[in-house]
Amino acid sequence: MADDFIYRGRCWHFDDNVAIDGDIMPLHFAIARETDPEVLRHHVMDGLDREFPSKVAPGDIIVAGKRFAQGNPHIQGLIGIAGLGLGLVVESIPRGSFRNAINCAVPILPACPGVAGEAAGGDELEVDFRAGTFRNLSRGIEIAYPPLNAALLTIIENGGWMPTLRKRLAGAA
Amino acid sequence: MAQTAAEKILSRVLGADVAAGDIVFPEPELITVHDWYVVNFAAALDELGVEELFAPEKMVLVTDHEPTAVSPQAAERQKQVREIAARFGIDNHFDVGRGGHGHVFPVELGFVRPGMFVAGYDTHVPNYGAVGALGIAMLTEISEVLACGSAWLRVPETVRIELTGRMAPGISIRDVAQRLIADFDADQIDYTVVEFAGPALADIDLDARFTLCNTPIDLGAKSALVEPDDAVLAYLSDRVEGDLNPAYSDDDALFRWRGGYDVNLLEPQVAAPPRPDNVVGVSEVAGTAVHHGFVGSCASSLLSDIRDTAAILANRVIHPRVRLFVTPGTQEIWRRAADEGLLQTLVDAGAILTAPGCGPCAGGRVAPLASGEVSINTGTRNDPGRLGPNDADIYLASPLTVAASAVAGEIVDPRELLAGD
Repeated sequence: MADDFIYRGRCWHFDDNVAIDGDIMPLHFAIARETDPEVLRHHVMDGLDREFPSKVAPGDIIVAGKRFAQGNPHIQGLIGIAGLGLGLVVESIPRGSFRNAINCAVPILPACPGVAGEAAGGDELEVDFRAGTFRNLSRGIEIAYPPLNAALLTIIENGGWMPTLRKRLAGAA
Repeated sequence: MAQTAAEKILSRVLGADVAAGDIVFPEPELITVHDWYVVNFAAALDELGVEELFAPEKMVLVTDHEPTAVSPQAAERQKQVREIAARFGIDNHFDVGRGGHGHVFPVELGFVRPGMFVAGYDTHVPNYGAVGALGIAMLTEISEVLACGSAWLRVPETVRIELTGRMAPGISIRDVAQRLIADFDADQIDYTVVEFAGPALADIDLDARFTLCNTPIDLGAKSALVEPDDAVLAYLSDRVEGDLNPAYSDDDALFRWRGGYDVNLLEPQVAAPPRPDNVVGVSEVAGTAVHHGFVGSCASSLLSDIRDTAAILANRVIHPRVRLFVTPGTQEIWRRAADEGLLQTLVDAGAILTAPGCGPCAGGRVAPLASGEVSINTGTRNDPGRLGPNDADIYLASPLTVAASAVAGEIVDPRELLAGD
């Protein structure tokens, strides 16, 4: 089970202040309340790199600077990232998008100061989201960051908020 | 263990000591849900097969975003809300004309106690920090709270801001609240509870504390609260049943940071488009022609806001180019404003009163802008499209500045009008 939280793949590098609306996902999907990952995965990073969805593979990792997914916390961008099977390692993420990442079951290390300087696009990475270990295999470095709390890892393991809630309701019944 | 007020409140609710960063499942002691979100949660519960609420007695349903239904859909939605309240046994349903703004009237009616943990389906629920309660917005997960009693929460860090100095005449709390979120960096307050303390609070009454707690959320704070003082506790003691249990941070609690802030601003402050923290001194935007004004919203619809508006409008008329809407926050505020003769002053000046609640700020459902128009108002946000068309500009300011600008037909420093009184 623990292996589910070790991602090994390529680094996709972004700077500070990547916006949830416009950069990560066109706003019209939020206005239309689109929540299908099969639709949204084809539009991730549309505002920054239109080819992004066709270039990435499941297990790849987005490494970004401060305030990743900032702005009005629409969930569509995180649903798309979940649909692509990517992990997130960021210097910081505003609270609304952090909740959305957990609720969409995106593995994340949310508080990694300086990590944007520790990897470049295309580097081979291995990230253990349970332990908080970040390895840049291309550079031969390993850094320990604070991992997610166990309760949040459980939500991600369950497949996100809704499956977790269904389990909770079934347990209470 | 030294704790912040927020840590104490959540520790009491959970029955165990918690510290910032912990992931917990605290049960809110009061849950507010607004307008059509009621319809949304009922649909979500239906999908989950949930037929009974965990604690219907803790719930308050309010109709404040669109109290005066202006579309057939809104009338249908209000009907559905009434049916949902009956079906789930929610007695505290404040229908149109019964309460008013859901971020204000629950305090007036004694639902909110100092030191209480409140969840609400609306971003501005931190308003309850005005009386020292911890109000936290729960959006998608509100249906989990309703079905199971709680949803996950990261215990927030606190930043403590000691307010010093005095506000000069013509400067009001809205100026301070706006300037303050512009002076701090989003990274400094993201995910935190912003706690206000300090000697300046002696001049900042309960009405003003709503305004103070309202703005930090728009810079990314999780909540805000003001340390309740004797005046606030005395106000509540007549309204709240049982003991008041205010929570105060220990002096040696672990804060993310603590700092001072001088409320003695040099001039009134205006948030220019397109964000609430894009704040400049009024002199930088003075002379901008306006077509629309509005005093109201959860930030600025208290009795003192109506008094400030009336002080400017007394014996004056609104500029022919301008339409000015005033939305008293609650039924009680409306009645008290009427008792003081304020409403007559507003109407005589040519202002239009709208039903207690959010007023135009709730997406411009009432009194929207037309393409290319300019509004100056006391709403919470000024994003393009907030009051209708994307190409209309919205400036946010204090009730004094809004009323003065409505008289002048352009943005002005209200001290120019107050000086002539």
